[in-house]
Amino acid sequence: MLARIVTGLSAGAAYALVAVGVVLIYKCTRVLSLAQGEIGAFGFFIGLRWAARGIPGLGWHPGRFVTLCIAVMVGALLGAAIERIVIRPLVGRPPLDALIATLGIALFLALLEKELFGTATQFAPSPVGEWKVTVLGATLVAPRIIALGSAAAIALAIYLFFSRTRFGLAVRATTGDPTVAKLMGVRVNRVYRFAWVSAGVLAGLAAALLGPAFGGLTPFAMTKFSLRALAGAVIGGLDSIWGAIVGSLFVGVIESVVGGQFATAGSAELAVLILVIGTLVARPRGLLGTEGAA
Amino acid sequence: MSDVGMKSLLDVEDLCAGYGSLPVLFNIDLDVRVGEVVALMGSNGAGKTTTMRAITGLLRTTRGRVRFAGTDITKEPTEQRVARGMSLVPEGRGMLRDLTVAENLEIGGYAVRDRRAAAEATERAYATFPILAERHNQKAGRLSGGQQQMLAIARALMSSPRLLLVDEASLGLSPVMTKTVFDLIADVRRTVGTAVLVVEQNAGALDLADRAFVLEKGQVVDRAEGAEMRAMQGRLRDAYLGRRGPDAPR
Amino acid sequence: MTASRVASTIAVIAVVGGSLSLGNVKLSILVGVIVTAIAALGLDVLVARTGELSLAHAAFLGVGAFTAINVGSRGAPWPVAILAAVAVTAAAATIAGLPSLRIRGLQVAITTLAFQEFADVFLFSRSDVTAAGRAWARPSFVRTDIRLYLFALALLALVLVVRFRVGVTKAGRAFLAVRDVQDRAVSFGVEPGPSKLLAYAISGAIVGLAGSLFALKASSISAKDPFLLLESLQLVAILVVGGTGSPAGILTAAVVVKGLPQFASTIPFTHLHADRIVPMASAALLVVAVVAAPDGIGGLYRAAGRLLDRWLDPRARVRPEPRPRRVDRDAPGAARLPSVQRPLSLRIPVPALLEARDVRVEYGGVTALDGVSLEVRRGEIVGLIGANGAGKSTFFNAVSGLAPVTGSIRYRGVELVGRRASSRSALGTSRTFQDVGLLRPESVVENVLLAQTWLARYAAGVGILGMGGSVRTEGELRRRARLALELFGLDHLSGERVGSLPYGTMRIVEIASAVAAGPDLLLLDEATAGLGPEESHALGDRFLALRDELDLTLVIVEHHVPLVARVCDYVYCLESGALIADGKPVDVTADPRVVESFLGRADAASGGSPP
Repeated sequence: MLARIVTGLSAGAAYALVAVGVVLIYKCTRVLSLAQGEIGAFGFFIGLRWAARGIPGLGWHPGRFVTLCIAVMVGALLGAAIERIVIRPLVGRPPLDALIATLGIALFLALLEKELFGTATQFAPSPVGEWKVTVLGATLVAPRIIALGSAAAIALAIYLFFSRTRFGLAVRATTGDPTVAKLMGVRVNRVYRFAWVSAGVLAGLAAALLGPAFGGLTPFAMTKFSLRALAGAVIGGLDSIWGAIVGSLFVGVIESVVGGQFATAGSAELAVLILVIGTLVARPRGLLGTEGAA
Repeated sequence: MSDVGMKSLLDVEDLCAGYGSLPVLFNIDLDVRVGEVVALMGSNGAGKTTTMRAITGLLRTTRGRVRFAGTDITKEPTEQRVARGMSLVPEGRGMLRDLTVAENLEIGGYAVRDRRAAAEATERAYATFPILAERHNQKAGRLSGGQQQMLAIARALMSSPRLLLVDEASLGLSPVMTKTVFDLIADVRRTVGTAVLVVEQNAGALDLADRAFVLEKGQVVDRAEGAEMRAMQGRLRDAYLGRRGPDAPR
Repeated sequence: MTASRVASTIAVIAVVGGSLSLGNVKLSILVGVIVTAIAALGLDVLVARTGELSLAHAAFLGVGAFTAINVGSRGAPWPVAILAAVAVTAAAATIAGLPSLRIRGLQVAITTLAFQEFADVFLFSRSDVTAAGRAWARPSFVRTDIRLYLFALALLALVLVVRFRVGVTKAGRAFLAVRDVQDRAVSFGVEPGPSKLLAYAISGAIVGLAGSLFALKASSISAKDPFLLLESLQLVAILVVGGTGSPAGILTAAVVVKGLPQFASTIPFTHLHADRIVPMASAALLVVAVVAAPDGIGGLYRAAGRLLDRWLDPRARVRPEPRPRRVDRDAPGAARLPSVQRPLSLRIPVPALLEARDVRVEYGGVTALDGVSLEVRRGEIVGLIGANGAGKSTFFNAVSGLAPVTGSIRYRGVELVGRRASSRSALGTSRTFQDVGLLRPESVVENVLLAQTWLARYAAGVGILGMGGSVRTEGELRRRARLALELFGLDHLSGERVGSLPYGTMRIVEIASAVAAGPDLLLLDEATAGLGPEESHALGDRFLALRDELDLTLVIVEHHVPLVARVCDYVYCLESGALIADGKPVDVTADPRVVESFLGRADAASGGSPP
């Protein structure tokens, strides 16, 4: 049982990376992005491709860690592009429009991955080494440890960023009231771009860690992970970073524990779904979310 | 301040604006000169707030021009107008409720890059409003209405603007508090030399203004300066309360 | 009949006729396209009419298909199998719609996503659900491909008829009210909860029909791909690219997205991998459509139709202003508008129509109305004045049931406090809103019909099938709507989209709608806001006409006191939620407290004058 909880926490930490991105975007732009999983996966696949065939033009085969960096960079670029080209024209339109747009992006990226990289599972060596640690009876491979560690580090970094920096303050002002933020001289569009780029970085990181930890990725596999992350974000509260982390960890643990208790296929998923719908109906703003998340 | 009341700071010409298909402003002409206080009077729904939104660029104008210190800013985004030295205390105070008092002030000085200047502005704000210094760590949403209005004005002054726009500062305040806020606006003009455009329903605002404009149904229907200001009080009563006889079309 | 109608009819006949000459393989592909199209049309009922997004419609398609096979393979006659599929899917969709009673928008979309995933990983992995190994032999009447295709076309036609009926009965209008003005739908006499569930049920029933057609074509189902999340996204893509609310656009999109890849694969020796490119292109198109062309292909069709009509008949353009009208001369029938069927107790003449006693409204600790008592006598125009936030609109909300009230509000002796808000129009009160409470994307006549919801005395679901006297009732309501529009000089605008009208005209449309509901008491909230001086004056004349010629009682919230002074018989002035003066207009506007309330306390601020 304890072992299952630990395993669940490590999976939850990886979901949390994506979920934090989802929440960051939601907080800043009131857009619910369903594309974060595929944004990360796309970066990861490009990293792998370049690792295997060399970077076009340079012919240099990047190492494992550089692969992770490429995933992160591609995630950031995709985030920036999506914000500029798709999301910005949708400011002020009904929230479902932006949701549908991110769905389309997710679908497009997944199909493009399929086209470019094939349907076979892409195995990836761990970008952070092959070591393992046993905690409370659970054996965790390196990427899972790093996922846990980076989720914690990112939580801390985001906390410091928001409370200590000038731009962090601008982001919080924008979250509070974009019109007032504008009146104070904040360039709100920069805040939007920041949210999408950071979320792209987190998605790339998550994919690069999840891929090896879960024994490889296929196109559309990340859709499943992003649904988990979405579940975590919804349970925790769509506008709460801490909520996203707590919610994702919770989802990871529930999945792991229920999956271990019942052999029936889909029981773990079922538990998560009941949790999501239950949360939405009983407390639409989520565990730690504010009124604005409902 | 030799050019007080001489040089034009804000020039609004033939301004038309509205929300979607709802036209609200019709051919507004008004101006604010350097260092003076101008009152823009009008009853509910006359278009006062809409005028403020159009001047600060929160609302796109459908016609006309807005000039600030001689530059045409009609097409500029709000952030840029703020950087030029325009600062609005929005209707309803625009509190960032989840931010502390200190953070609200800090964001007020966001357009100011100079750290030392920002620190000085903060000190000045706390000196003017000791209550804000006392509560600097409290969430803005927890302040009383009057304190919020003070914070809103203090915040708008953080960027040391050349023109301060104040939208219905007296709304929801007690008479004593209203007096305090009006005193404060008079002080700002006297000490800092900032030009102020106040939008008010409260006729008390006429006492602190050098000049006044009256809006009715989105049009400037009356203006006054100097000695004419007293007479305007009476005309305002007529405009608000309909003593001009039937509401015949003009 | 307009030219665009003729052109589109010819196009439909040509496409259907042409398709009949296709070979068996292609006909079979087309049946698949029709399955998808019907499912998308079902999804569209929900999205276009209630504004809520379902990401679970592929799962519903599966529920329908598996139900049909389960029932059909056990020897039930084919109509039973199809009806079972329709009923079970409608039930499933209704259950999936339950959370929407509490939440909306994004949250609802997430719950449907959860439902789809539940089906993906749980429901469709159970062999008893998926009827594994069972087969539903095709009934003899659809044994050949051409027959199946004709049957599919018939089902498609049936779905289009049902959608049409939804549109012309009260159910469809209720959905629109829920979409555009959910919190105020009750003021039209619409209950949002049941309306939403009915929309889910209808949407589910249509998708269930698509599912049974799928089952009929396939006989047995082994691959679950057509029912998984990806397919739900495809349905959304077809809907958005085709254009929500446009059957022609949706059908075109279905042919392109579903049909094209398969048709391309039937052409030998092509190097075009349409089966791979088209899904990707449709995903990209989905994004482009959302950003740049929210009306989709349907929008293009409509634009083309308009161009054609205008080219052939340049006079088709109308001036978007009301025409001047006099009741006695131009709309003699309009005087009949207030005579609607009501119980005797709601018809007998009473001196005081509305009596409010000690009305208090509190929103989260803020007291918006603080013990207001007032009276509205029959046949009067009563003015309600006061500064911003004085509680004028809150009082209207209290009367119309949109605010939490304590105290007593009696209308003709009937206590309104604690009564369902949707019952107000049946009792005889109608209202307008400060910011125009109309459905802006819809036509003028549609809005007037919506306001008459309480007069459509047939069950919503039954009306869709054309039963329960719905056809006759609707005819009557249309005549009433026509009268109301004539009364206000709006009849030439009845087909125009409300949102495309000038603001002043919208105001009049809203008042016309409120009058069409046949009230005795009309509450008008800032009816002259956004109107120029001339328009305001003209509206004042209309108020007087409503009182004198239609015998209505009016309460008007108005900022423009000169107008109040001209038309009102009695005036109440509010300040900070409490009454500070009442009486004849001349007396109230002379009251020192009223003067002070409007001008502010000059004495309090005079100390602030600069030296």
